[in-house]
Amino acid sequence: MTSPLLRFLAKRLLHTAVVLLGVLVVVFALLQLVPGDPVRVALGTRFTQESYDALREASGLDRPLLVQFFAYIGNALTGNLGVSFRSGEPVTLILLDRLPATVSLALAGIAIALLIAFPLGTWAALRRGSAADGGIRAVSQFGVSVPDFWLGLLLIIVFSTMLGLLPPSGYVPFTEDPWGWLQRVILPGLAVGVVSGSIMTRYVRSAVLDVVGSNYVRTARSKGLPRRTVVGRHVLRNALVPILTVAGVQAATMLGGLIVIEVVFAWPGLGRLVFDAVAARDYPVVQGTVLLIALMFLLINLLVDILYAVVDPRIRVS
Amino acid sequence: MARGARIVGLAAAAGLALSACSVGEGVDLAGAGELDTDDYLRVAIAGEPDQLDPHNTSAYFSFQILENVYDTLVEPDENLEMQPALAESWEVSEDQLSWTFRLREDVVFHDGSPFTAEDVVYSYDRIIDEQLANAYRLSAVEDVVAVDEHTVRIDVSQPTPALLAAIGGYKGMAIVEQQNVESGDVQLDPVGTGPFEVAGNTAGTAVTLRANDDYWGEGPHVPGVVYRFISEGSTALADLTAGEVHWTDSIPPQRVNSLRQNPDVEVAGVPSTDYWYVTMNQARPPFDSPEARLAVARAIDREAIAQVTWYGNATINQTAVPETSVWYHEYAPFEQDPERARQLAESSGLAGETIDLMVTNEYPETVTAAQVIAANLSDIGVSTNIRTLDFATWLDEQAQGNFDMLLLGWLGNVDVNDYYYNQHHSEGSNNAQGYSNPEVDRLLEAGRTETDPDARKELYDRAAEQIVDDASYVYLYNPDVVQAWAPELQGYEARPDRAIRFKDVRLEEDTE
Repeated sequence: MTSPLLRFLAKRLLHTAVVLLGVLVVVFALLQLVPGDPVRVALGTRFTQESYDALREASGLDRPLLVQFFAYIGNALTGNLGVSFRSGEPVTLILLDRLPATVSLALAGIAIALLIAFPLGTWAALRRGSAADGGIRAVSQFGVSVPDFWLGLLLIIVFSTMLGLLPPSGYVPFTEDPWGWLQRVILPGLAVGVVSGSIMTRYVRSAVLDVVGSNYVRTARSKGLPRRTVVGRHVLRNALVPILTVAGVQAATMLGGLIVIEVVFAWPGLGRLVFDAVAARDYPVVQGTVLLIALMFLLINLLVDILYAVVDPRIRVS
Repeated sequence: MARGARIVGLAAAAGLALSACSVGEGVDLAGAGELDTDDYLRVAIAGEPDQLDPHNTSAYFSFQILENVYDTLVEPDENLEMQPALAESWEVSEDQLSWTFRLREDVVFHDGSPFTAEDVVYSYDRIIDEQLANAYRLSAVEDVVAVDEHTVRIDVSQPTPALLAAIGGYKGMAIVEQQNVESGDVQLDPVGTGPFEVAGNTAGTAVTLRANDDYWGEGPHVPGVVYRFISEGSTALADLTAGEVHWTDSIPPQRVNSLRQNPDVEVAGVPSTDYWYVTMNQARPPFDSPEARLAVARAIDREAIAQVTWYGNATINQTAVPETSVWYHEYAPFEQDPERARQLAESSGLAGETIDLMVTNEYPETVTAAQVIAANLSDIGVSTNIRTLDFATWLDEQAQGNFDMLLLGWLGNVDVNDYYYNQHHSEGSNNAQGYSNPEVDRLLEAGRTETDPDARKELYDRAAEQIVDDASYVYLYNPDVVQAWAPELQGYEARPDRAIRFKDVRLEEDTE
């Protein structure tokens, strides 16, 4: 039962695994090139040579590089990403702790971005050249240029300090308190969603414009189909493929790149984790986080590819 | 196992398991969500602890929490003089080589097990045998012996007047419980004897403490404390003014002065035991010449540096020890004198050189201060190349001596020996600038073993003057302890050593 879709999936999965292995090798190699001694950072400024040697041995950093490397790859393949130099906790558990916060923020961000980009981008495209189009383009230009951390601080000042509507920071797991989660995700979600949505608005606009100008839409229109049907069934559906690509890239970027927003809103996600870990030269945590982010990036790409195949069956075959 | 407990916790949070049972008595590792923390004191600290094992962490964020979880044998009062804590009293033998501590008998650990002399022996032996980060503090200790259940004796190789400060000045010397350490739980779920016990630990978000009902001392008067990690100062202040937290020390320096104007916020301002300094690499010309170093000492404008870094919330000091300490010695020979500095720069060959000044973005004040110093130096004909590194790289470069000049602070000392020995003794472990003066070595060695306090102070005063005259370090200032809290938080006092103690505080009901 080898349907084209299954064969397509198998090929993409294999591809994903190979890329992950590559990421593993590259990250390990790159960390060796970064100056800065993890043992010295962990000990602070006051310590004896004996303490230094003891911690170095305990962290396994005294072993030859190749031994460290093969041990790491071997363990990683079985899901053991080592233990943090700083806290001694298993990296896998640390990542599992942080993942929900990042995923929920990214989901909120991408949802807000889509809510902004779809209507505005379509609207602007369908009224190309009008005042509305100009306005939307100007606003999205502004949104693209605004740094997300600045927007974040502004949102805190307005909605928390001045209006007292929402808490300025913090995170509650959705599973524990959905209402508390929602209250706390709105502001950081807006901060990333507005920026991301502004970028996507422009893509939606040009994707819709491309389709509007194509022959089949002209045909559909000339058949006298209602405007709503033309836009909904023909224009948007076909514009979806390039938009999905951008949305996928944006979502993946959010999963790995929310460092500043996570710092501003005290959000316990992967961005802040990797930020701290790099500063402390906590190699196992850095490697594990990069690996996880790469994995999610690849999975999102996979998901986007599958969605393509669903939206546009021609892609499955080629 | 902490690991097992954590997995259980995660599962519980996901609603997959019904209870996180049998993990230490009542300890909830699933997160603060299951505790009723409405009445708890809520505080925002500027970063996340790396771990909670007091012997293994060197992070201030960890000690902000551990201060309230652990006890030491003795502890510093607000004047940084040592007072009884787990030890009720102590005596030193005639030859000064043996310290005997009488321990309190009514102390239990958070898990209910009694505190005895064996716990003290275990804790100190652990630090020494495993060469943990604090081993240097016990370098003079030969043996730790449990004389009986409530008496412990510490034998030292030479008279050690700073022993009390070494074992009590810092929670890194806390008394831990053997079983808690050996199970590995100590990293996330430490068991101490302090006024609060760890009740929840949510990675990246918060650590929750619950009042210890069996605490041997006065207090605590709040049912618990929630520590949240908010590194962005503007966010922490928004949380403070919104009533989300009661206390914070995550405060951007430029906001301090306006915060003092706010009637709804209390702001602390005492000079801290931290000091900031500039030092020059004496292994390289031109700073191998004392004249070149003195040119720098006379060129810099300390007031301006304090102004740009702390907006004036710092006390200018030309020695290391702050005026709040009993070891303070007033000595300030340098005034900013560009004319004199230029002469010194010219005669020493410093003028016309380009100097590399190494700073780190881990401590942003070093980056801003460097700009003022560069301007001061350019006034005397020296150009400066400011090199901003991340801290890990900075430490490497310092250790390898790859710098002309650097700028950093030294945080939190109690005994005067800690202010000078490692930094200025020729064999000192932190003498990266390569300073060596036989007279200073002699004074610092004598200070370590002199047991008469007045004679001891005299030795250090002389050493300090010589260090300043030789410009081994060019001292700048002691920054203020800046902490802010809501008016309903009563009984809190900011301390010069930045120990954050909540055992005496109360939360007043809102009087609308």
